[in-house]
This record gives sequence, C-alpha cells and structure tokens, in this order.
Amino acid sequence: MSNSAPNPARSWAMLLLAGGFEVGYALAVGGSEGFTRLTWSLVAVVFFLLTLWALSVALRTIDVGIGYAVWAGIGAVGAALLSPVVFNETLTAFQAMWLAVIIAGVVWLKLADRPQEAPPAAASGSRELQGANV
Amino acid sequence: MQWLHLGIAIIFEIAVALSAGRAEGFTNRRWTAATLLSGAAATYFLSLALLTFNVGVGYAIWTSVAGVGITLLGALLFGQRLNWRKALGIVVIIGGVVGLQLSGAA
Repeated sequence: MSNSAPNPARSWAMLLLAGGFEVGYALAVGGSEGFTRLTWSLVAVVFFLLTLWALSVALRTIDVGIGYAVWAGIGAVGAALLSPVVFNETLTAFQAMWLAVIIAGVVWLKLADRPQEAPPAAASGSRELQGANV
Repeated sequence: MQWLHLGIAIIFEIAVALSAGRAEGFTNRRWTAATLLSGAAATYFLSLALLTFNVGVGYAIWTSVAGVGITLLGALLFGQRLNWRKALGIVVIIGGVVGLQLSGAA
C-alpha cells in the first residue's frame, strides 16, 4: 500500500473532500424528494460520482479502515448538522443523542475493520477483503 | 413504508461495497458497472425513504446499518473474524437505531 504513496497531505485533503461531497450527496438526495425535483436530482448524481472518485483516490494511500471511518463520520455528522438548516427539520435533544450514538458506532465499526493485527503474510489477503468495504 | 424503502436502499448499498471492492480501482469494467448500478438503486430508494425520515436521521441509519451488513457478510462469506470490537460496533449501531425509533425520530 505504501509502495506508491505520493503525498499524505494530499491524500488526506482528498479524504476530507470526499467527506464533504458525501454531505452534499446526502442533502441533495433528501432535497430531490424521491427524484421528482430535477435540479436536486442532478446535484445528487454529481455528488455521488464525486464522492466515489475522491474516496477511491484517497484510499490509494490511506488505510482503508481509517479512511472509511473518517469519511463515514464526516458524511453522517455533516448531514445531521446541516439537514435541519437546509430543510427546516426539527430534532429533539434525545433524538440528537441517539443519532450521535449511531454515528459513533459506525466510526468505531470502520476502525475495528482494520487488518492491523493480522500477520504480514495474511495482511495482503485481508486488505483485499477490506476492499469489499466501500 | 419508509422502513421498507430504507431496507432496500441498505441492501443495494451493501452491493455497492461488495462490487466496488472488486472493481480494482474502477479499472474492472464489469464490477465498475455493478458499482454504479447498485449505487443508483441505493440512492433512489434512499431518496424515497427520506421523503418520510429526516435527512440526517435517515442517512445515518442507512450508512451505519449498511456497515453492519458489510461486516456481517465479511464474516459469513469471506471468513473475516468477527472480533469483540466489531461486535461492539454492531451492538452500538443497532442500539442507536432502536433508540432513535423509540424516541420518535424514525
């Protein structure tokens, strides 16, 4: 994985960008109202392709488990924070707390999926399986 | 109905993960096509679910339960070990979804 590592800062910038695109994707999918509104629908498609692209570029150098954890965390937190602003939705403190529990769970789960503990020989195999984690 | 739509969206999102893992950085055409098609289906059914769910709530349930499915499939089909850390993540996510439902958000 580190054989062609170019610039870590650039990969991380790309990962943060992918997280931002994912927030845009979530909001646009919501705004499309079942893909009945053209502008939001087109924006959703564009964000879908952008997030897939940026994430795949970032994951060339960043550990897959960490990359997914950061990406999923940014996407879910961003959507939770911005959707009340964009769509005039309301969330009680209790609901926000449960939402935080879910997001913490998914970040934890992605981090737990790292093949770190595997011996070097098995690491490449589990790396491949990690790829099935997009 | 929104739970049915969300469930279908989650199944397609798991399919996205499995096919993207085989798309070899999107150089393999067949799996890249499978990734895009299942992504389109996941997105469509998510948008139907979000007609009812709050966007932040529906999105979080969608992405996290898909994550649970991916981890469980990894253990069932690909022989990945299900260690206590993964199990804890799964329990926390499911607990959070149930909590959200009971609190009336979902």
